[in-house]
Amino acid sequence: MKTNLTCGTCELELCAYLDGALHPAIARALESHVESCARCGARLEAYREISSRLAELPEIAAPAWIEKRVLDSITGRARARRFWSRGFAAAAALSFAATVGLIAHLPALARQWGLPDPATWPVVGLRTALDGVISVAKRLAGDAAFYEPLARKLWVAVSALETLPRVALLALRTPEAQFMVAVTISLGVALFLALRPSRTREGGIGHACLSL
Amino acid sequence: MQPDERDLVRRCLDRDERAYRELIRGYQGAVVNLAWRITGNADDAAEVAQETFIRVLRSLSAYDPERPFRTWLFKIASNLALDVIRRRKRRPMALEDLATEEGPPIDPADPGPGPEEGLRLDRSDARFDSLVRELPEHYQAILFLRYKEELAYEEIAETMGVPLGTVKVRLHRAHEILRRKLIARGTET
Repeated sequence: MKTNLTCGTCELELCAYLDGALHPAIARALESHVESCARCGARLEAYREISSRLAELPEIAAPAWIEKRVLDSITGRARARRFWSRGFAAAAALSFAATVGLIAHLPALARQWGLPDPATWPVVGLRTALDGVISVAKRLAGDAAFYEPLARKLWVAVSALETLPRVALLALRTPEAQFMVAVTISLGVALFLALRPSRTREGGIGHACLSL
Repeated sequence: MQPDERDLVRRCLDRDERAYRELIRGYQGAVVNLAWRITGNADDAAEVAQETFIRVLRSLSAYDPERPFRTWLFKIASNLALDVIRRRKRRPMALEDLATEEGPPIDPADPGPGPEEGLRLDRSDARFDSLVRELPEHYQAILFLRYKEELAYEEIAETMGVPLGTVKVRLHRAHEILRRKLIARGTET
């Protein structure tokens, strides 16, 4: 006796049935259908066979170096972090001790090396720094005074360029000038087309020029 | 998560090197083979496994112990393996693409070879394996997770980032494609 389960629905649930992933009621309906339907019964057996073959598929062995490389990466980094953090702590402690010792013995060391009294060092340092700033400012002012006339001349030259279009328009009124302009533009376009590097002409003259 | 698995993860979080070794040895076979099924290349699979374990051990503090460890591990491995394919530009595919991509079409109107044609299974492992290898890589990954690692449908869905229904459909499609290929090969020879 056939149930109301269609072959299409049954077929979709066959894998889930074999994997035990169906609700018991649906599984019972499917079993009932499969018993009465030769086509679905054959398909169920085929799927069962395929599932068992899939479980026997060949596998590859994991290479032994995976463990070593992973551990090197994980523990190596941790070791390096510990080493550097300890190293920085030791260096900071040493630096602090050396600074304290130096400050404590600074007057004696200065006398021994023939240096001025350390108490005057901040004032001397400040004066030196101020001298440096003042000399840089003076140099900049001198440079500005030197370049100012040159800049003024450049400005006049650039302003003169404004008159060029008017001169060109006056010159182009003659047929000879118009002819020359047309020839120049044509030559320019022709030269550009001939020399431009093109993807379609890899061996063109433009590429040759670029490679020089 | 199993109690021993939970303990292993806790020891790894305590930076116990022996626990690292146990975790790698316990899962490297499965991870390498999952990556092998997806990438189709043993060298790539080993590289993927190495990167998977490095990522897992470095981000273990972000792992939710209420979820299955294997699912989390396999998810990282499958993502990395799919990245390899994407880089290789062979068959670019992202996990989100997999949610919509359904592989080779099966005409529902075509019932395929019927029972009268029989299923002549080739008993050679290599030949059956070559048929499996012709399937899209995400089908192979799902078959591996189900039949070699025996993951539940819900775990496979979580690993591959697809709905549960998609897992069922893909398993059915994979079986049907293999059945038709086996019959076609049987009739050829």
